[in-house]
Amino acid sequence: MNLKFRKWTEEEFLREREEVLRQWHTGKEINFEESIEYLKNLPDHKNFAKKLIDAKERGITLAQPRAGVALIDEHIELLNFLDQKGGADLLPSTIDSYTRQNKYEECERGIKESKKAGRSLLNGFPGLNHGVKGCREVVEAVNLPLQLRHGTPDARLLSEIMTAAGFTSNEGGGISYNIPYAKSVSLEKTIKDWQYVDRLVGWYEEQGISLNREPFGPLTGTLVPPSMSNVVQILECLMAAEQGVRNITLGYGQCGNLIQDVAAVRAMQEQAEEYCAQMGYDKVEITTVFHQWMGGFPEDEAKAFGVISNGASAAALAGATKVIVKTPHEAIGIPTKEANAEGIKTTKMVLNLLEGQKLADSDELNAEIAQIKLEVKCLMDKVAELGDGDLAVGTVKAFEQGVLDIPFAPSMFNAGKMLPARDNTGKIRYLEVGNLPFSDEIKEFNRAALQERADFEGREIGFQMSVDDIFAVGKGKLIGRPEGK
Amino acid sequence: MEKNGKKVVIGVIGSDCHAVGNKIINHVLETMGFEVINIGVLSPQEDFINAAVETNADAIIVSSLYGHGELDCQGLREKCEEAGLKDITLYVGGNIVVGKQIWEDVEKRFKNMGFDRVYKPGTPIEITAGHLKEDLGIA
Repeated sequence: MNLKFRKWTEEEFLREREEVLRQWHTGKEINFEESIEYLKNLPDHKNFAKKLIDAKERGITLAQPRAGVALIDEHIELLNFLDQKGGADLLPSTIDSYTRQNKYEECERGIKESKKAGRSLLNGFPGLNHGVKGCREVVEAVNLPLQLRHGTPDARLLSEIMTAAGFTSNEGGGISYNIPYAKSVSLEKTIKDWQYVDRLVGWYEEQGISLNREPFGPLTGTLVPPSMSNVVQILECLMAAEQGVRNITLGYGQCGNLIQDVAAVRAMQEQAEEYCAQMGYDKVEITTVFHQWMGGFPEDEAKAFGVISNGASAAALAGATKVIVKTPHEAIGIPTKEANAEGIKTTKMVLNLLEGQKLADSDELNAEIAQIKLEVKCLMDKVAELGDGDLAVGTVKAFEQGVLDIPFAPSMFNAGKMLPARDNTGKIRYLEVGNLPFSDEIKEFNRAALQERADFEGREIGFQMSVDDIFAVGKGKLIGRPEGK
Repeated sequence: MEKNGKKVVIGVIGSDCHAVGNKIINHVLETMGFEVINIGVLSPQEDFINAAVETNADAIIVSSLYGHGELDCQGLREKCEEAGLKDITLYVGGNIVVGKQIWEDVEKRFKNMGFDRVYKPGTPIEITAGHLKEDLGIA
């Protein structure tokens, strides 16, 4: 089947499904009729999609951690701790990295060695290996909606198993779970594999079961200009909507300049809704997720709490529907459950203090929204043109030609010619546009913003600025200026 | 850039796709005169070894950022020996275990696996490069 931007027929879907469920022995546990029944009987307070709509209507921001360990009992203990001691509103199951590469034999080894060592040697929850039965133990032992969060280019079987088990939200997408997470997997393949996942969600939706999907916003989490990440979110939103997904949460990773962060979230929601309307997806409900700072963190825990609080403020003031929470252990790796709970508590405190407040309109905010939308439109138009109106084909060609280009990505299918850096107020701008199809007006705007910083710092615009910016937050500042500036 | 005549294989081991640090390590080591053979992210042990054998490298620096370092690094020294890389300088660094653990224990665990130097989270690559010059006798 060639890649096309169109809804899969039920026949196409069911044919591929047979093959997918044979990929690992736990796939055989799935019984469609029984899964539909199970999901229908899941109480509303465990349904992710419904909880998000409720939050959107009430105008509040929900807090969600990342978390996952190798063994079922320890995983349940961890999640209940984050709910009861941390005050999480939504729960995750972060999937380990072997599963993400479809290395299920290695997961088995990780599970065995974790049992032997008495501590988790895997960096997440191997839900596919635990199967529907194991995953349902988790669903039944917690009191909040659950989402699987991962970074899996081919998540077809993982999604089948965990959705059937009662996980009512799934993060990822054909672009956002490829370019930042893989080295040599083609975009044609990941977009098709995620069309399958979206079709699966659409199929459940047709059976009367409301499920949430969430494209991964931050991408490489490293100085991604908002217009670039917003384009990816909008494309994945449209790809999901085409397959029948109705409840979509678009993501954004904090850049660090408050005005730019608020502008990016607003521009993303507004433009996504416009494109959905244009393409006739009138039943799609869009919410937003704000990821607290995804780059390097300070090792000092008090400083890390500062970064976390700052992210919580930006999420609240941007009006995001939920915020993904970092922890004071971020600089050294995977947090203990106590550190994870502290991150949530810090975040919730800030969210409570800012409840009902939004950043007021200003000339600077409106100008930033307009700038992001202008850049997004320029990129979207080119993707559509390259695909002759087909956005899936256009996306593949756009990456081939560097028209879409994610900074610092591992994928060989990403051009890597675009380079970002902060301007003098910390907003992320395009330092090198590479092959991006920007107008002279857009190029000049970005260049002028960076020139202002270069003048202030008394140095030339260059790659050293990007490198300095990457390490700046870890060292205690937003902008990576030369010493003494 | 003046070359110092030493070859280093770098890469991110296992199912780990953290690319940013890898690109920066590449950039800094080259700036400091090393010839860098970068096998990139998502690299199995065999790729490190093959790259070192093919290029007759002086050292291997293994990065791991995602917590599976302990599982991924088991047996690397033995496989290097089998491949004829006798006593090759072997470093590891990053966030190499799951969670915050007592550093001395972690360091000991990896030294027992045969690593010559083991680096804490957040160690600047310039420090590692300094050690590399010492250990390779060009400091």
